[in-house]
Amino acid sequence: MTGGLTAAVGLTGVAVGLFGVVRGLGPVRIGWLVPLIGIRLQVDQLSGLFLAITGAVAFAVGLYAVAYARAERLPRFALWILPLFVAAMLLVASAGSVSTFLLAWELMAGASLVLVCTEHHRPAARSAGVFYAVLTQLGFVAILLALSILAAATGTDSFAELAHRAATLPPATRAVVFVLTVAGFGSKAGLLPLHAWLPRAHPEAPSPASALMSAAMVNLGIYGLVRFDLQVLGPGPRWWGLTLLVLGALSAVYGVLHAAVATDLKRLLAYSTTENMGLITLGLGAALLTRSVPGVAAIALTASLLHLIGHAAFKTLGFLAAGSVLVATGLRDIDRLGGLARRMPATTVAFGLAALGASGLPLGAGFVSEWLLLQALIHAPHEGHTLLALVMPPAVGAVALTTGLGVAAMVKAFGVGFLARPRSDAAAEAVEAPTGMLAGMAVAAAACVVCAVAPAASGPLLRDVLHQLLGAGSAPRLGLLLRLPGAAGSVSATVLAAAMGVAVLLALALALAATGARRRPSAVDAPLWTCGAERLTPRMQYTATSFAQPLQRVFDDVLRPDTDVRIDHHAESRYLLSRVAYSGRLTDAIEDRLYWPVVRLVRTVARGLRRAHSGSVHLYLAYGAIGLLLVLVLAR
Amino acid sequence: MGWLRRIRRTGRFVQPAGSAPERASVPDLNGSLQLRHVDAGSCNGCEIELSGAFGPVYDAERFGARLVASPRHADGLLVTGVVTHNMAGPLRDTLEAVPHPRVVIAIGDCARNCGVFAAGYGVAGAVRDVVPVDVEVPGCPPTPDQILTALRSVSGR
Repeated sequence: MTGGLTAAVGLTGVAVGLFGVVRGLGPVRIGWLVPLIGIRLQVDQLSGLFLAITGAVAFAVGLYAVAYARAERLPRFALWILPLFVAAMLLVASAGSVSTFLLAWELMAGASLVLVCTEHHRPAARSAGVFYAVLTQLGFVAILLALSILAAATGTDSFAELAHRAATLPPATRAVVFVLTVAGFGSKAGLLPLHAWLPRAHPEAPSPASALMSAAMVNLGIYGLVRFDLQVLGPGPRWWGLTLLVLGALSAVYGVLHAAVATDLKRLLAYSTTENMGLITLGLGAALLTRSVPGVAAIALTASLLHLIGHAAFKTLGFLAAGSVLVATGLRDIDRLGGLARRMPATTVAFGLAALGASGLPLGAGFVSEWLLLQALIHAPHEGHTLLALVMPPAVGAVALTTGLGVAAMVKAFGVGFLARPRSDAAAEAVEAPTGMLAGMAVAAAACVVCAVAPAASGPLLRDVLHQLLGAGSAPRLGLLLRLPGAAGSVSATVLAAAMGVAVLLALALALAATGARRRPSAVDAPLWTCGAERLTPRMQYTATSFAQPLQRVFDDVLRPDTDVRIDHHAESRYLLSRVAYSGRLTDAIEDRLYWPVVRLVRTVARGLRRAHSGSVHLYLAYGAIGLLLVLVLAR
Repeated sequence: MGWLRRIRRTGRFVQPAGSAPERASVPDLNGSLQLRHVDAGSCNGCEIELSGAFGPVYDAERFGARLVASPRHADGLLVTGVVTHNMAGPLRDTLEAVPHPRVVIAIGDCARNCGVFAAGYGVAGAVRDVVPVDVEVPGCPPTPDQILTALRSVSGR
């Protein structure tokens, strides 16, 4: 029932979003709902795109959630929060005024926080909840400040009028608003250095909630960036684009590095979200920087928006498949999984599709958009644009490194997690997910395949959004063959897929013909070659940790792993060892360096302040009197 | 261009091939002999001579013999040393993993008749006692020349 409600809300979102893209839904005012300010809704092309994405994700998750909740014995209230969360996200995307936007944003943050804390009996979930609450509220404060300044300076509340009047604002105000919105929306999108909540909250939240947060909610951070920094504040100065580009590149590389060394399946997917949001932001930054060359800016923006759609599809599928693994085995640790391909074939195919999409390889959901992003960066004009000539080559390098490491991360997750032999009893006794969960995954998988094979399907949707953001220009034609005006490049995922299919069929036919033509010796049963050992055990297999170990060594300076080798010598001789203990722990270096000093400072201050709380009523009355006196003196 | 001069000064140091030895009574391998080496309990003397046989001076690869990493890729085994109790099982398993037709070449006196280790407490026996042997090379250790002759008698080149 509640799952159906979530799916229904999602479908409504898709419908309203598609309608909004085509025609736009004029401002709707609901005055009685909130006193004084009222609610103002408006759906234009940009809102429509995000509504459609959020709604589609919610539809798949809604189908999945009921069976998941039954299998994991989630409390009922979590299921009721789910549709509320989706509705809040849809409200954020369709808000037409600053006050409505802020209200919906806070509703979304609150609902998601409740979802993160669903399993609050576990200490890890509680700690993740605190982290998420603090970061999301700090982000909200930044957004609140930015939008209040914007609304106060322009003297209007509605987005439509904001866009008209923002052009006349002084540059300093615009700069402050830009910095605050980048901090606020960046923290929601999981950009560096405010990404720390993602790898904590996503693993601890129930999988449907993780999917919603990672595939739909982080998108709204991007929505905020596009809405306020690209559209309302209009074309900004060069350093805006540069800031977004650098933030995006750093987030992408840092996220994918951590994804490559992560051993927790959902933590890996969470870091992959940081990576993909980084790529999208990089595209936005490139679009801002190349504003003077409409063709290239359009390619960059198309790449960003297409990647947004593709990421929503494959990340939903990834988290749903990870949830199905969690239900079947109770494990998130890739080192203890393995051998699931035989026990859970449907889930394995689903995760394989998601991993293919996330690795950005051809025939994956993320390929065309990453290709477009690279084309935009490569074709940025060099003559007369010193900044572009300096910035674009490192950006191309960052995207290439991200894609390469992304392949390593996804090969690890799929190969170690699903193939080979089970490494634990729980993995050996896994059973396939129930039908309800498979249905949700099937919807997301279908979306992945469409994104991979026919990205042109989203062409009309993107054309209108690009038209709204860049004006009538030379947008890349997303037909059967993807052509880039002004750049000598074209690609066709559909033709690629067809060629691949034909090649596979041809190879099969040739192989069949060869076996038919030549007489082969009869097959012999032989034991597996085990290098002389008695039999193959799961302990001999590559684990996720060992797979990532070379990468961890190479990027030692960035990842800063915390490894500890303890050697106990024998009592009689130092040449004999009685015990060697190795422990390795990988923490987020940014979190350690940036967050914990602040947390420690706050704790110290709080401890100092606690001394003033002695429990004596007389003292408290004295505090009150002093405070009142101060207020009177100051307000005199 | 010092290296060119050095090449001219050194001249050819590969041992002359000579005429092909008599063929051993083994299946015909068409001149290609891929071998997996098994050290069944050797003192490593034979290994040093083996590396000489496959080194640049004797260059066994001229005659089609090649060392490979897995018995699955091999035409036969190259066994050195006495077979210890610990290595008897693995030696049988390794032979089992070599596809047919296959040959077993035992190298050195230990492999033939346990050599100086005969009657040792850890010794299971000579190679012949554990797996069927096709060609044996005497010597403690045998010279690379002897090893080469044995390899050529199998590869037929």
